[in-house]
Amino acid sequence: MSELRPAWSNQFTADVLRALRAFGPLASITREWAWGGATGKGVRVAVIDSGVEFDHPWLDDCVKGGVIVESDGRRKEGVKISDDPQPRDLFGHGTACAGIIHKLAPDAEIYSVRVLGRDLTGRALQFAGGLRWAIQNGMHVMNLSLSTSKQEYYALFHEIADEAYFKNILLVSAVNNIPAPSYPSLYASVISVAAHEGHDPFTYYYNPEPPVEFGAPGIDVEVAWANSSMTTSTGNSFAAPHITGIATLIRSKHPELTPFQIKTVLYACASNVTHQTNGN
Amino acid sequence: MNEPADTPNLAEQLQKLVLAIQASGRALFPSSNDELLQTIVEAAARIFGAAAASIALVDDRAGELVFRVAYGAGSETVVGMRIPLDQGIAGYVANTGQPIAIANVQNDPRFARDTAQRTGYVPRSILAMPLITNDRVIGVIEVLDKITSPSFGMQDMELLGLFARQAAIAIHQSQNLDALDDAFIQRLHALVSPEAGVDIQRAMRRDDASRRNEVLQLAALFQSISALGEAERRACLKILEAFGEYARR
Repeated sequence: MSELRPAWSNQFTADVLRALRAFGPLASITREWAWGGATGKGVRVAVIDSGVEFDHPWLDDCVKGGVIVESDGRRKEGVKISDDPQPRDLFGHGTACAGIIHKLAPDAEIYSVRVLGRDLTGRALQFAGGLRWAIQNGMHVMNLSLSTSKQEYYALFHEIADEAYFKNILLVSAVNNIPAPSYPSLYASVISVAAHEGHDPFTYYYNPEPPVEFGAPGIDVEVAWANSSMTTSTGNSFAAPHITGIATLIRSKHPELTPFQIKTVLYACASNVTHQTNGN
Repeated sequence: MNEPADTPNLAEQLQKLVLAIQASGRALFPSSNDELLQTIVEAAARIFGAAAASIALVDDRAGELVFRVAYGAGSETVVGMRIPLDQGIAGYVANTGQPIAIANVQNDPRFARDTAQRTGYVPRSILAMPLITNDRVIGVIEVLDKITSPSFGMQDMELLGLFARQAAIAIHQSQNLDALDDAFIQRLHALVSPEAGVDIQRAMRRDDASRRNEVLQLAALFQSISALGEAERRACLKILEAFGEYARR
């Protein structure tokens, strides 16, 4: 049955979850050190999705701005980017992600980067345009619920992921729910996330057999939705913002850490990692 | 079998046939898989214990999803319905290629109002999965209201993935056959058009009227070869083109 499961989520079910250990200096990294007392203050988080409803009651004015990225074949980069100071959400999904991030990191500033719309053919370029905007406009963390499985975009998204990495911007991406390669979630510099069955927002797991590295709550999650509503949702795309929220806390407390260092801290503090403090 | 004296030549007959097929919009090959898709949504609804299920296909040009088949509550009004790709759960899934399960959707007042107006039925829970072929989302399969549970879970998602794969294959084949239809008709048209001055009877060097069936046999052969795969389909088209060249001599 395992091959029928959607995209890697089976790696976080109770029966196959691996117990891991952190050794040496890694064993001294605790959650208290990593994000104790942190609120996400000073960190700008881009939610690259369907838009974020700026006045949703769950978001407490944390949405500080946004842009709409639309397909435009006349331009070299294939997209037009316009300001969206009071963003709306086409579907509700971006608002759901923003709500999860805000709950974990209440003082983080959230920016809505809307890359979805009616034009499916230009979607990958819109997505790339949204990532570039976030890189060029001072975002520290990006939450991606989207991916592309088109091989032709492999290099484009790899270049963008590398650019983000070298500018010290953390990319957190949901892996596809269906078994297919998805970019950029497969790249090493990106933090890839699938759903596990738990509900505690700070319970997350590390998977020692990537490509998917982290498991976070994504099943029956209560989330904010469009038109000031809420709903109960399931999907890997609700797991990613949990890790985004925790990474935002780490980033706000330790702004000097690079994406790989944040990944290491996340590993050391994962719920299935015990600390080996004696001997080694 | 003797050919009646007033029978127009085969080229004219074929010309009329091609025009009639084009005018009626009817497929020369059995391109409609609606019955299969209908079976898929019905089976999905029954297996999930869902009140309803549907398949909608992406219309890229219009930027819309068109509901092709449906089963269960609200199905009569749903088939043929169009929704913009930037709206609704199905729109999100088509946009992202990501499946999603949502429960308590009635909490969204706009969703409830819009959906009720369209279909007369407002679901409490939805599981929606993309139909993907060649890295492209071609549609969305949805199941609504799991009867035994307030929401759909991950296992439901993986199971619906299997149905989605079947549906995607069926639709992909259907679309391939549509393309094949067009290609075949175009070539047949070129072959028998009066402007080209081609007498297909002479081209085939036959005087027995029963031989006209050979063109239809050619069509059947064309179809069976195309079912083998893309490379075979292309090879078949090349052969037909070569035949056209030969016929024009």
